[in-house]
Formats: sequence, structure tokens, C-alpha cells
Amino acid sequence: MRLLDREGFLGPVMILPAVLYVLALVGVPFCLSLYLALTDAKIASSELSFVGLENFRSALASPTFIKSLGNTFIFTFVSQALVLVLGKVLATCLTKDFVGKSVLRFLILLPWVAPISLGTIGWKWMLDSLYSPVNWVLQALHVVGKNTWPMWFGEKDLAMAAVIAVHVWRLLPFSAVIILAGLTSIPREINEAADVDGAGFWRRELYVVLPLQRPILFVAGLFGIIFAFTDMTVIYVLKRGGPAQATQVLASLAFFTGILGGDLAGGAAISLFLFPVLVVVAVAMLVIARRTEVT
Amino acid sequence: MTTHLTRRTFLKAAGVAAAAATGPTIFVPTARAKSDTLKIAQWTHFVPAFDEWFDKKYVPEWGARNGVKVTVDHISVNDLRARAAAEVSAKKGHDLFGFLDPPPAYENVVLPMNDAVQECEKKYGKLVNLAQRATYNPKSKQYFALSDNWVPDPLHYRKDAWGEIGMKPDTWEHIREGSKKIKEKNGMPAGFGIAQELDTNMMLRGLLWSYGAQEQDEGSTRPMINSKETVEAIKLMTAIYKESMTAEVFTWDPSSNNRFFVSGKGHIIQNAISAIRTMEKQFPEEAKKAGLMPPAAGPKRRMGSEHLLHCYVVWKFGENPEMAKKFVVDLIGAYNDAFLASEFYNFPSFSKSVSDIKGKLAADKFHPEDYGILADAEKWSAYPGYPGHTTAAIDECFNTFVVPDMFARVAKGEMSAEDSAKQAEADMKRVFAKWIK
Repeated sequence: MRLLDREGFLGPVMILPAVLYVLALVGVPFCLSLYLALTDAKIASSELSFVGLENFRSALASPTFIKSLGNTFIFTFVSQALVLVLGKVLATCLTKDFVGKSVLRFLILLPWVAPISLGTIGWKWMLDSLYSPVNWVLQALHVVGKNTWPMWFGEKDLAMAAVIAVHVWRLLPFSAVIILAGLTSIPREINEAADVDGAGFWRRELYVVLPLQRPILFVAGLFGIIFAFTDMTVIYVLKRGGPAQATQVLASLAFFTGILGGDLAGGAAISLFLFPVLVVVAVAMLVIARRTEVT
Repeated sequence: MTTHLTRRTFLKAAGVAAAAATGPTIFVPTARAKSDTLKIAQWTHFVPAFDEWFDKKYVPEWGARNGVKVTVDHISVNDLRARAAAEVSAKKGHDLFGFLDPPPAYENVVLPMNDAVQECEKKYGKLVNLAQRATYNPKSKQYFALSDNWVPDPLHYRKDAWGEIGMKPDTWEHIREGSKKIKEKNGMPAGFGIAQELDTNMMLRGLLWSYGAQEQDEGSTRPMINSKETVEAIKLMTAIYKESMTAEVFTWDPSSNNRFFVSGKGHIIQNAISAIRTMEKQFPEEAKKAGLMPPAAGPKRRMGSEHLLHCYVVWKFGENPEMAKKFVVDLIGAYNDAFLASEFYNFPSFSKSVSDIKGKLAADKFHPEDYGILADAEKWSAYPGYPGHTTAAIDECFNTFVVPDMFARVAKGEMSAEDSAKQAEADMKRVFAKWIK
């Protein structure tokens, strides 16, 4: 038997590129972050000293860090709740046949395929304090007066709502496509049986469709949580964490501290606070994947 | 005919493809040859005419004179620092990198510029004090950057609106009183940013200094932000916000106050002259109603911050360090042209590199009297870290927006001025502890 025909050899060979990829682009940066976080590394320093957990202590003593931690959870969980609910609604609509469905599908996918920074810059202008088309429309509809335009990035609650809305806009297509795949995989007979039994829309959704879709909803949710938890593009481009750090999240704070502020070790320590949550999410994803595995 | 892709064939093909893809990177020699190209990175200037002159006239002519191909990459103001960090991390990038605020944290990876500073001082007079304090490390006795220009930060105000109330924005108290009257009279708001951005960082420092407050001591070793002068300055800005501004000042980026003033919405901002220059080009009639004043005086002094302090560094890993230094020295020698090309935006860092500044300002075709106030700009301009030096600790405080946040917390009613100053002090102490050992 030739070497390449042996399963014991071929399996590892096939998986090797993926392992190398993960090691190089995830493992090495992660170990580097751990190493940097335990030192006093600066952006251009040539000498490092071991400082133990000092960078973590320093971060925890900072009110800005505590605020950013809270913002990260709000940003992540509110945006994911919205993405899942709206994604489900959108996917359900897309299972129906109607004129222009393919065009609508294409349009819905646009926010996901367009570069995130470009889309976000567009939203920055849409919500601008001086030239916002959104505010113009609201004024034309007499929802707001001329001198009472909402300052989307000027009030802390509005600013958080704005960054969450843009993030939802960005992630909705991804979620909708995953859920749509789940919906189309439900055997037609099950829906027909529910119809025969006299189940209405809500009863069928709650007792038939949602239970069958639970694994895929979990996957969509967990992917979304990882995307939201580690994302800083929307926050950075829209408002750089302002006003007064009201929308600062851990990923953007790590960038400001480590890259713009030059304190690499401090930035690495802040970024590592993301790790425990991401581990929990990753483990949950693996468990779900195993449970739903076809054997 | 059908073809079968066997597992073995697939693996062979994949192996060949992988080798082809990685081969070039494996066999590229690690030793670098010195380049005959000079690569420059700098910001996209707020006055487009300057980039036009720089890219299309000065650089090609200099390159031809020196037998060097020069490339210039313009980077947006918000992305400069991230780009610099990436170049340092990769130890590869441009030969000459232009910063808009001095980068002391990079001292270890840049060539000392002492020789170039000396040469320029011999030829073009003394380096102005604020550029010297901002680019020199007294501990290592090194210039970590060479500044070719700095940018004054005067008040822009609507003469018509202020004329109607019979006042001028000469002091911060005048600004408070006058802005309130103008808002009541015609609804025009004032526009002083309280956001996490460059212009706010500069303007609010000027306010602090004019009240006698300071970020750190003269020896640059300990924060001094928590003082009764700081508290007074915060209270004044909070009052101006509550009486005369809108929440949009929390939303701004570096170009927002320009748009706010140029659009005619607001009656006062503090900014580099790009705002009034834009107005002159886009709305010449409206521009006649606009004017410039030195920064407002506070109880202690009249002082503003430089709006930008442009300086070049030469990376140690650069491929053409000698040419890079020569380029900056020669550029400083050409500052008569640069000053005019920037429409007075770039003020020379070497006092004699531009002749007869007063005469040039007075010859402006739009606002000769207004631009005339800039002749004394050095007297009322300081730099981040004043009265100490611009250090790495100050740089981190600057780039993590400690000062703007201190003002914003109070203006938004989240904290008292006293508590906010205390928090800023605690933030600065944490940063200083990391950098000063």
C-alpha cells in the first residue's frame, strides 16, 4: 500500500494546512499577546522586562476599562438579539415566493459582501451632525424640528443605539442566510403534517420550526457573538469610542492603548480580557456541533 | 473523454501549487540592497494646494537634482499612527515618515536628527521653542524627529454676529458671554469640540494653559492635571456648552468644526486656518464676514496650542537614511515656497526659513489684517506637555484622549469638575507609571 493511500497518513496530511493556518494566524498572535501582556513592552521598545500581572491590575483600576467592558457586553448581546430576531424574520420571508425575490436576496447580501469600512463610512455620513439625510427625512416627516435634530453620536444612549444599529445592518445578511439554510433543510412533510393537524403560523413556528432550528440558531448566534465581541471597525470608524468613551469597547480600547498610545503591553492585556468569553463561546459551539453531528 | 482526479493526483497538484505559492518568499534573499528610491509617507494636507505643490513641483524637481526617484504616499490624518506602528512592527516601510504630532515613543527605532537640526539652525536660524521642546528628549539628548513646520490654532469668528452684540472674543469670559448673547439673538451656536479627536485635544489644552493649569510639571516627571485651575477651566467650558453649544460638539472629528463654521451654522471655532481658507474658496461673500483672532486669554495668560506640529522621522530600518535627512533639510530650505503653497497653513519651524512673514501675511488678498495676527503666533502657542517636554507618557495621554474625556464627563453631567479632574489625574498617573522608570 502506498503511503498516500494510508488513512493514518493521509488524514493528518489533509488537516495539516488548516492546523498550520490556525497556528500561524491565531496561535502565534495569541501567545505573543500573552507574552506581551506580562511584560512592559512599548511600541518601539527593544528591551522587555517581566512585570507579572501588573498590566491586568492597571487595566482593572481604570474606569475607562470598566466602562468599555460593560459597553462590550451591551454592544454584543443587544446586537446579537436583534440580529437573530430580524434574521429569522428575514429568512422566513425569503422562504416564500414573490416577484423580485432574487433581486431582494442580492440587496440583502450587499451589506455583508461590501467592505465593512466603506459601509460604515456611509453610515457615518448618514448620521452626521450637520448633513444627516436620516435627520432630513425625520424633519420632513415632522418627527423632529429644525433645531432639535438628534445628534446620533453626541448623546451616549443614541450613540450606542447608532453603533448597534450599524452593526446589526452589517451582520443581518449573514444571520439570515444561515437561518434560511436551516429553514430549507426542514423536510416539507413535517410542515405539511403540522398543517394537517391544524397548526397555525405561530404554533408551527414555536413548536415545530424553532425546535428544529435550534442548533442552527445557536451556531448563528455564537458566530455573531464572536464577530461582535471582537469587532472594532464599526465603533472606530463611526465615533472612535466617544462621546466620553460611551461606545468604547475592549477591542477598540486595546487598539487605542496599544497602537495609538504606544503601550503594547497594556493593549495586549486589555485584548486578553476578551479571551474567557470567547473560550466559553467556542466550547459551546463545539458542543453543539458534536450534538448535531450526523453519525 | 472523462478524467479522474485521484487522491494522489490531487495531493501532487496541491503540493506543486503550495510550493509555487511559497517558493518566492522562501528564496528571497534577506539582505537588502540600498535603494535609489526615497519613499516618503505623510498626511493628506488639509490645504490641497500644498500637496499639489509638494507632489507635482517640489518632489520631482528635488528628485531630478539629486538623482533619486521619490515616491510620496499620502495617508489620512486618522491613520498615520496605525501606519507608523505597522511599519515599525514589520521593520519595513518608508524612508521618511511625517507625523502630525511628535512621536517620542518611537525614539528607539529612529535615527537621531541632531546633525540635521544643527545644519538647519546654521542655515535657517533657531528651531522655534515649541518645536524644540516637542521633538527633543533631554534625557537622551536626542532629537527624535525633525520638524519642518507647525500650525497655529487661532480663533475663527463671525465678525457680523459678534459685531451685532458689540463684542470681540478676546477672553474666554468674553466668549462665554458673547456666545450666550448670540445664541439668544439669532440661534447661532458656538463650536468648541469636546470629542475624542485631534482638534479637541489641542483646543482644550490651550484653555487649560490660559487658566494656569498644566498637564505635567516642567521636568516631565509627574502629572499636575488635578488643580483648581483645571477645575475652573472645565467649569467654564461646561458653561459655554450648556449656554451656547449643542451636543454635536461631542460627535466631531478633525474636519467637523471646519464644516460647522464654513456652512455658516456656527459663529466661532478654534482651528487652523484651513477653515477660513475653505470658506474663501467656496463662499467668498460669506468669508468676508469671517475673521481670525489669537486664542482667547484666560485669567493667567493668552495661550493656545499648536494645531499640528509636523515632523519627520527616519526609521533605523529605512533603506535610504542619508537621502531622507537631506530631503528634509532641503525642504526646510525651500520653506518660502512651502509657506506660500500652504496658503500660510504651514508655519516654519526654523525661524529664518521664511523671509518677511509679516509682509507675506499682509499681502493676502482675502484677509490681510486677519492673517496678520499670525505673525505673533509663536508667542501664544505651546505644545502637548507644556511646560515640560512632549514625552511618551504625554503622547499616550494625548492619543487616549484623557483631556477631552475629562471635559466631556462634566459637560455631559456625568461627574463634577473636581471628580473629573481627579479621574484624569488617576488616568495620567497610570500612564506615567508605565513610561517613567
